[in-house]
Amino acid sequence: MANADIDLDDVRRRTGPRATVGESRFAQAVIVLLLTIGALAMIVPFVWMVATSLSRKANTAMPRVPRLFPTDPSLFNYQIAAANLPIIRYYLNSLLVVGLTTFGYLFFSALAGYAFAKGKFPGKAFFFIAFLSTLFIPFETRMIPLYLFMNTLGLTNTYAALVLPFLAGGFGTFLMRQNISTIPDELLEAARLDGAGEFRIFWQIVLPLCKPGLAALAIINVIWRWNDVLWPLLVTSNRDLYTVTQGLAIAGRSQGIYTGVALATAVMAIFPVILVYLILQRYIIRGIATSGMKT
Amino acid sequence: MSGDMSDLVARQAHHEVAEMDRRLAAPHARTLFERAAKTFRGTLVWYWFIGPPFLLILLFVAYPTFETFWDSFFAQSDGAGQQFVGLEQYRRLGASDVFWQVLGNTILLGAAYLLIAIPLATVLASLLNRVRRGATTLKVIYFLPQLTSSVAVAIMFNYIFQPDWGLLNGILRQLGIDDLPLWLADPRFGFTGSRAAVTLLAVWTGIGYFILIVLAGLQGIQADLYDAAAIDGANGLQTWWHITLPGLRPTFIFLIMTGLVDALARFGDLWTLGGPGGAPARSLQTIVMFMFQAGFESGDINLAAATAVVFFCLVLIVTLIAFRGLLAREFAAQRSGRA
Repeated sequence: MANADIDLDDVRRRTGPRATVGESRFAQAVIVLLLTIGALAMIVPFVWMVATSLSRKANTAMPRVPRLFPTDPSLFNYQIAAANLPIIRYYLNSLLVVGLTTFGYLFFSALAGYAFAKGKFPGKAFFFIAFLSTLFIPFETRMIPLYLFMNTLGLTNTYAALVLPFLAGGFGTFLMRQNISTIPDELLEAARLDGAGEFRIFWQIVLPLCKPGLAALAIINVIWRWNDVLWPLLVTSNRDLYTVTQGLAIAGRSQGIYTGVALATAVMAIFPVILVYLILQRYIIRGIATSGMKT
Repeated sequence: MSGDMSDLVARQAHHEVAEMDRRLAAPHARTLFERAAKTFRGTLVWYWFIGPPFLLILLFVAYPTFETFWDSFFAQSDGAGQQFVGLEQYRRLGASDVFWQVLGNTILLGAAYLLIAIPLATVLASLLNRVRRGATTLKVIYFLPQLTSSVAVAIMFNYIFQPDWGLLNGILRQLGIDDLPLWLADPRFGFTGSRAAVTLLAVWTGIGYFILIVLAGLQGIQADLYDAAAIDGANGLQTWWHITLPGLRPTFIFLIMTGLVDALARFGDLWTLGGPGGAPARSLQTIVMFMFQAGFESGDINLAAATAVVFFCLVLIVTLIAFRGLLAREFAAQRSGRA
């Protein structure tokens, strides 16, 4: 993680296998052609979806030959979809839930990660193993008692139910511990000699120094929480609390016969995400590649 | 990620003990009690660091996990509360045809997905590795579906797989194929039914992530191996077969492990396409959907808990086998080093 700022492409260009194999223009052309075909297979479905969502006729009669541009472009489907679905509200819900869980997860992961990386205290090995063992317990194993627990606490159909279970976890703690371990002890000792307490050191020295690790963890957590549909389906039945993914899943199951409207809904749910992705793609790709984790 | 986990823990424990010894041997502390108190006071602050997250994990991870195991040994009795029934819930699972079908389905879908995705990702990543210009753009494109939630992808593919006018059959028809598959409407096994459709969907969604991980694995192969191969006069394909593929072994194990665990937990896209019952004809129902259905639609919490325990064991087995696979070479190296 320390070398997260090194451009992997650049390193490969100089040292990787490619450098040792002389390659003809023809071979390059074939490779690029093959990869472009693959890339088209990734993009064409999206284009088809957008084209269909812009066609009013798509709700009643779809062309037998697929069209990648609408012959009757209109925003009709979007007006219907927006009227049926409080998509703005869903977005605000998702932003709130994803935002709170991500801040919490980063904070608590770094907090425990610092103690495990630099602290010395009785029972450290025990606690570390306890944190790590959560890595082996998939969420699905505990979801039903967790739901019943939320019910007992009276938290079903609240934002708290969507946030509380995801504030701390073994994966983030482990990742941050690895990150913080690379900070030199001398730096922390110097701060201690200056009379800084551990919390001040954590806040003013440790956190700023592990920004790349925090960024990678943030990206992974945002993807996790944004895409989650299982837990929201369990704990919220109130439409006002639906996240984008949950609202989309439920709408997709109910408005299925209106192709244009359903696809317009899907486009509204993914377009902003794709926009954010295209802006941050460099960091996202790097974050995934360095931590090896995703959804 | 976790290969050196136990080693880390062991090293940590050792370090900690050594540190304690050093402190206890400090000459200025008088009595045993004073020494212990002094050692303890300096360490107290660390409990404030691990305390809050530990409490959260205790409440929202440890407690409900324990509860799952506990509930799986009980049944709701007619009066209030529940009654201990031993392994009865597991016997019910074992006697249920639906459960076995769902379990087989989950494993079949996972295996088919990995059998296609890993070789395809390896080829694409190897090609991407040789591209002189535009590799980043291609990577961004291949990774795109990962960001658009499995639910959105499922809705899109619901229409792409539509037999009469869907994108896929439309393209196949343009290519002159007359006998068009029914895809999601066909619950039969085979290459044109619902299972094949959702496998295609999963590969399309997941391939970008697999490519990124294989690319990272390619960086880890030592460059001098390639130099040696070049000196020996191996051609590109020979080099790829004899050096690149064996060098990717840890990457493959990692991908099989994470891919299988993900496949076992598959829920969102299949729920969107087929509901909790995995329509048509339960052909798309996975073990998590079965659990969801048992617990929340039939209200059979205890049967759902037993299913959750089975699911937990499956994930654990996959993880442990993968760890063994990852570590096998290191163990072998150690053993031969000692001999």
